Amino acid sequence: MGEAQARLRVVVLGGGTAGWMTAAGLAGLLPHRCTVDLIESEDIGIVGVGEATLPHIRGFVEKLGIDEAAFMKATHATYKLGIDFRDFGRIGESYIHPFGSFGEEVGSIGFHHYWLEMRRQGLAADLGEYSLAVCAARANRFAPPAQDSSLASTYGYAYQFDATLFGPFMREHAKGQGVRRHEGLVVDVERDPASGNVTALVLKDGRRIEGDLFVDCSGFRSVLLGQTLDEDWEDWTHWLPCDRAAAMPCTHRTADLRPYTIATAMPAGWRWQIPLQHRMGNGYVFSSAHLGEEEACRALVAAADGDPLADPRILKFRPGRRKHSWSHNVIGVGLASGFLEPLESTSIYLAQMAITYLIELFPDGGRIDPRDRAEFNRLVDMEYDRVRDFLILHYHATTRDDSEFWNHVRTMQVPDSLAGKLELWQRAARIEKYSDGLFYDASWIAVYVGQGMLPQAHDGRTALPDPARVAGALDRLRHEIGRQVAAMPGHVAYLNSERARLADTAV
Amino acid sequence: MSAPRERLRRVCIVGGGQVAVLTAVAMRRTLPDCQVVLVGTPADPGAYADRALTALPFTNALHERLGVDEQQIVARAGGSHRLVQRYFGWAAPDSMGTMAYGAELDAQSRTRFAREWGGGPRNAGSGGRVAGSAAHSLAEVLADAGRFAVPPAGQATPLDGIDFGLRWNGPAYRDLLVAAAQARQVVYVPGTLEGALRDAAGGLASITVAGQGAIEADLFIDCSGPAGSLIALVAGDAWHDWRPCLPVRHLFHARPGQPLLALEDRATLVPQGWLSAVAGRDGLHLVLGYGEKVGEAEARAALPGQPEALVEIAPGCRPESWVGNVVALGDAAAWFEPLAHLNLDLAHRQLALLLEMLPGRPIEPLERAEYNRRAALMAAGVRDVLALHYAAPQAQVVFGQQVLPESVAHMLDQFTRRGRVPFREEAPFAPAEMAALLLSLGYPAGKGAQAGSHDAAEAAAARRAFDQRAQAVLAFAPPYRDFITSGAQATGNPVTDDLQY
Repeated sequence: MGEAQARLRVVVLGGGTAGWMTAAGLAGLLPHRCTVDLIESEDIGIVGVGEATLPHIRGFVEKLGIDEAAFMKATHATYKLGIDFRDFGRIGESYIHPFGSFGEEVGSIGFHHYWLEMRRQGLAADLGEYSLAVCAARANRFAPPAQDSSLASTYGYAYQFDATLFGPFMREHAKGQGVRRHEGLVVDVERDPASGNVTALVLKDGRRIEGDLFVDCSGFRSVLLGQTLDEDWEDWTHWLPCDRAAAMPCTHRTADLRPYTIATAMPAGWRWQIPLQHRMGNGYVFSSAHLGEEEACRALVAAADGDPLADPRILKFRPGRRKHSWSHNVIGVGLASGFLEPLESTSIYLAQMAITYLIELFPDGGRIDPRDRAEFNRLVDMEYDRVRDFLILHYHATTRDDSEFWNHVRTMQVPDSLAGKLELWQRAARIEKYSDGLFYDASWIAVYVGQGMLPQAHDGRTALPDPARVAGALDRLRHEIGRQVAAMPGHVAYLNSERARLADTAV
Repeated sequence: MSAPRERLRRVCIVGGGQVAVLTAVAMRRTLPDCQVVLVGTPADPGAYADRALTALPFTNALHERLGVDEQQIVARAGGSHRLVQRYFGWAAPDSMGTMAYGAELDAQSRTRFAREWGGGPRNAGSGGRVAGSAAHSLAEVLADAGRFAVPPAGQATPLDGIDFGLRWNGPAYRDLLVAAAQARQVVYVPGTLEGALRDAAGGLASITVAGQGAIEADLFIDCSGPAGSLIALVAGDAWHDWRPCLPVRHLFHARPGQPLLALEDRATLVPQGWLSAVAGRDGLHLVLGYGEKVGEAEARAALPGQPEALVEIAPGCRPESWVGNVVALGDAAAWFEPLAHLNLDLAHRQLALLLEMLPGRPIEPLERAEYNRRAALMAAGVRDVLALHYAAPQAQVVFGQQVLPESVAHMLDQFTRRGRVPFREEAPFAPAEMAALLLSLGYPAGKGAQAGSHDAAEAAAARRAFDQRAQAVLAFAPPYRDFITSGAQATGNPVTDDLQY
């Protein structure tokens, strides 16, 4: 329909998760606006660590018209209700940061104020007891949330999947949408001398792939945005010192599968355990300034809760982001644009977010408008910076003093944007409010409380009602949550009841 | 171990209008052990949050929270419902645009998880920012047919998610609030301000009321109108001047005309300025807003009906509406013309913010800063919505060209070129509502990047689904007059038979 507009030639560089998500997104959602060529090389491995996701991935998959069951089957996916953080605030303590909220506000006073008051009076249970998502996770149960505004709608879910299978799944989907795949190594980048725009990528065998718009999904190498355009990098190592990960799959120890990811704080970082249908993903994210690679691998193997299925492999990274994620006619998506460690499973979200904004702001009439580029960069920066502050909180809100690493992160100077939030919480138990980007009040409260950073004071109005009445209301909520959780099937039972979601080799 | 903050012992509210009285009710409800003193100062005719005879859907939710019964407003204060706001002549001389409100336009954000967890519009599900879809709403279908009823609570009906602005008779509504304030033992002190004593922390220790002596309080709330008689004492003349972007300097109010039952209100661009018409069961309320170049005689001639009051206005806001222990609400915080029904909406959203961030003793500077940050975003959002009106094609002909705030230029650029509405924190309208407003004012929506990607069959299916829902709401909703006369005890005013203007 409409007048025929010349389709923009988009060239995606890189065949990892971000590359194929970008290709599938553009080809699927803008079929009349662009053609998509993707260049990948079998000689370059993909990182593919992002095994745990956020609920937003569902919207992306749904928008592309992908069937959830087929997607879960192909990627050996399990359901995820949140992350269990262990030993972060203090060794021996743990809490779940759920895809969901805690309790309900009463008379414009947030639930956590009442919880703090009841806890002071010895009348409150653990905060997680008031979250349906936390309780379902702890009970290893799962059912899809309701689509109304009841208690059963207070949580969401994501997937834990095999990232090395997700990329290929998206590849098959994208190829079905008409994306042309080119196997080869890029050896030269041609640019227009006047505008500086990239005009073509030259492959080792001499092929030239021309394009109007280039999406750099080349991972940390950032071939176009970083190497060619020399776009500045804002380094966040001083706040997020982890710069390595050792990753290794192992077998499941038990038949039960947790509907959540575990993140365990370690002497020089933290360790993930992500249950997939057929195996457990493990990794140790660490700071190379505080721990050697071999030691990290040994620690990972020693901690594995199952038989290793491969040797640990080391990934190197640098936390930070490009000053501009869209420069000239090059857009960075995924690691080429920025990197934040997978502590809150944000990697795929950040790629998806950039793809969504690129689609919204896709050049109109074959021309890139600098205003759209500026808008894209504004939005991408906002998203990265908000996630960054939230991650730093996990390291900073601690009493751990058992290693150099924890001494550093506990005492470091945090960004001003975070320092103000921390002080507001400590002085008055209030959360700086925003409604865009990731991680709202419930997430901040989960981490503050879970890591033992309790405020000095809370809203005085919580002391007004009869404590027995408030305690009664809290108990009723807990019991209702308990009742609903008890009515949910087990995570494995739910997966088994949906055979179409199971990989052939799984469980 | 976290301890409860010491609560405020006495709150003193200054002002005689509906904002002050509702604030007093709210304070007594949220702080039952606090003395609330309402100093009833003479009403300021230029206080538009107090003069407002209607608000936006947010107020309905606030009323419910504060125990102000909507059915009572309908039964005893001439309450009626606005489903849509119509704009005549803003896009072109004979144009008409229609804006509806609310949840129906943002159906994807219905689950509590989607509202509470983060990720913005990309939250789980097929969220999008397609501007064009807001052009037709069920609210408009109902307004066109003159059918509506507020669905009974607690049961699903086809009308769920259709939001409205409530209108009322000013004095009767205020009487309802006064009764609520009396029932809650608000201490009422009529009088005028004589003086004030500063405290050491940049706020006030006490105020003096003529014939009443000094009144001390932990927190003072200034609802005195544009003069801001308390906030000015502690904040000086710090002021964000909105005049460069908002050209209206005078408002001519007509004596209320014939009672009128209608589901729509109107803002019409006329050669002299704009004419706002709010339908009331107590009469049709007309206001002409005009700029510097129009003389009083010319304005008087352009006003249909008998002139009742002429108000001069210099729109702007306080950069910080909470200074020391003084919080300004309503016109004391932001003063602007009654276009788009934002005056009371802003006052009520800032009151709700104060209830959320209610300080203890002593006040924490950081929570005051957070309040000021959010309150300033709310005010800026109002300025932007008003500035959008004056940048509309025909408004530029009538008023001349105004300074366009950068945030408005950004929004217009993104909307007209790309068909997207950038999200703004604390904005008065959700993105889908903003899209409807922009279309009503004559800004053409740019084609979204995905336009043309949906095939014709998909568009036809969406159309059919909408038509089915439209049939369902029309079948369910009674004629609006039946609903009003069945539910409401007569107010004594005969209501015209004509549902349309």
